[in-house]
Amino acid sequence: MKELQRLLDRLIQRANINLREINYDATPVIQDLVPLRQMDRFYAFYGISNYHPLDLQFQHANLAGSYFLGKCRVASSLVYKSDVRGDELKKKGDVFKFQNFEIPITRDEGIDIEDSFLVKTLVHNFSHDPESLERFFIKDTISTHYANIHGSPCDGCFLGPFATADLTTLRDCIIGTFSYVQAGEISHMSIKPGTIWVRSPGAFNFFYQYDRSRLEKYIRYTTGSAPTGIFMEVAEACKEDFQNIFDRVHIEHPVAVPDTASVDRYALVKGDTHISDNVLVAQRAFLDNAWMGTGANAQENCYIVNSRLEGNNVTAHGAKILDAELGKNVFVGFNSFLNGRPKTKLKIGNGCIIMPHTIIDAEMPLAIPDDHLAWGMITGPADIQTNTISIKKFAAVSDHFSMGDLFFEGSGKAFVEAFEHRIHHILEANGAFCDGTCSLGHAQINQKISFNTLQPYSEGDLKGLFPTITIRP
Amino acid sequence: MNYLVKDLMVPISEYATVPVGATLFEAVLALEEAQLNFDRSKYQHRAVLVMDGNNHVVGKLSQLNVLHALGADVDNREIKTIRQLDRFGFSPQFISAMEARRRFAGRSLKDICAAPAAMKVEQFMKATTPGEYVDENATLESVIPQFVYGAHLSLLVTGNGEIVGILRLADVFAAVFHAMEECHHEAAGAPSTDKPSGETG
Repeated sequence: MKELQRLLDRLIQRANINLREINYDATPVIQDLVPLRQMDRFYAFYGISNYHPLDLQFQHANLAGSYFLGKCRVASSLVYKSDVRGDELKKKGDVFKFQNFEIPITRDEGIDIEDSFLVKTLVHNFSHDPESLERFFIKDTISTHYANIHGSPCDGCFLGPFATADLTTLRDCIIGTFSYVQAGEISHMSIKPGTIWVRSPGAFNFFYQYDRSRLEKYIRYTTGSAPTGIFMEVAEACKEDFQNIFDRVHIEHPVAVPDTASVDRYALVKGDTHISDNVLVAQRAFLDNAWMGTGANAQENCYIVNSRLEGNNVTAHGAKILDAELGKNVFVGFNSFLNGRPKTKLKIGNGCIIMPHTIIDAEMPLAIPDDHLAWGMITGPADIQTNTISIKKFAAVSDHFSMGDLFFEGSGKAFVEAFEHRIHHILEANGAFCDGTCSLGHAQINQKISFNTLQPYSEGDLKGLFPTITIRP
Repeated sequence: MNYLVKDLMVPISEYATVPVGATLFEAVLALEEAQLNFDRSKYQHRAVLVMDGNNHVVGKLSQLNVLHALGADVDNREIKTIRQLDRFGFSPQFISAMEARRRFAGRSLKDICAAPAAMKVEQFMKATTPGEYVDENATLESVIPQFVYGAHLSLLVTGNGEIVGILRLADVFAAVFHAMEECHHEAAGAPSTDKPSGETG
């Protein structure tokens, strides 16, 4: 395991060099993030299909428990129980529009992970950096439990537990625990835990910051110890069930799956769960007594338990829906936590947009009316007054708006349209609207994926490291 | 005319000071007294120096710092959030509108002054930084960049390792104005006026 330790030391040094200006010491963070003895216990796996590119290169890396799809290179990195999903990368010949530029893509885009340590992290979507369109880089970066790196090239960054970088290029930044950033491009910023920031320069700026004292019950992270709180408890509770899925070669899900839908082989489905047409259930999603209406999806690290989703619902990466009833066309953003009670289900009306990293923990019967935008921490009726607004009313904001801990500047219309456009795109890409006449989405394609596994050295100096591997058609 | 820093500075003995631990009201009072007691009316005092137990300057409280303190009794977390919004790309107009709404809306001036007046001066003072010191024998030209790049309203003047005075932006400006005036008169063939008269308000 000598070589693995050397790799770890190298990653610590590189992180410290990059984050020195923010006075960040990665040593205790990385050392205690995952015990090295865990690194040779799990196989890595990758998907092959006729619908996805296959170009994988692994060199001097540990890939324990991680999944790879598409075009990806991993070098001198530790990628632990992470999902690197290259099924939405740009292809040669595509044109990327940015401001007034129409930039041709000269070769197939690839995800390039180097000198980085990713733990239970999701990497998905394509690079939105107009300066690096063919290379979605993740370099000198540390990403911790259940973070999402979504279309966000990172160089020299630290992402705390349940943090999300979305469609943003990050350089030398710290994204705090449970923070969500979608801001185009940022550098040398330290974002406090529980910050929700969505900015489109010149169009709108949305900012919300959690009261740390209220957030700690859900997620708490201090350097040198594992993250704790309700979010981690939800994930840990399913650990054994997932282990069973990973240990077995053949899996048959205990529910009927229509031909138009896909339940990933590495998803966990149990209880009285119903899967309708065009449903997508991604790997590491957990469904128990879940009713999934037509076109609904559950993306990676989602938990849908004792809940009903009426249809065309987006449950973005890491979202958790427990004891809730969601109407049609509801969007639940990244890492959101919707928690009703068995006897008093939380109700979310049709067409609602639940902002990324929203917590709705219904201590009493709660209902969000149709077509509302919800954000931040909502535990009772008083919070509904300060943390929700009708989408129509919000779209009428022309200059600025603030309510409770939310600050918004710019055009509400532009904000709403951007979200609606994106939700439509997600549903389309996931195959929610597929009626046999349009192009197939993930729900139809993913059922054709086969999986292969990769193993690390089991002893000696190279113990825990995977051999250099190139996989092509 | 060439000036040295010591030609233009206000001597420390004539500057308003308060000890660490003084209240904001005591600091404002010291500022008022300095104004009234100083016999050369050409100097307007715009800051109070905060001194530690060893009579060393540890911070400055400017008029802007006092305004910053007003309404400080409002939920501190909320104000802290608003004040960091500039880092996140919000406009100054938006931030000032939010502060006005969250701190001052529906309150009288007397009301917003009451609570901060009893708070400690060190909560609001600006701690001194290395770029704020100049030597008393430095030339005026050599310290002008310090004002420009540090955006300071005043600099602390040192002599023999001690703080001996304050060099204020207003006095530097008066000297610059005087030099320009001299140039103008020389070009026009007219006699120049005498040395700078210091700040006039």
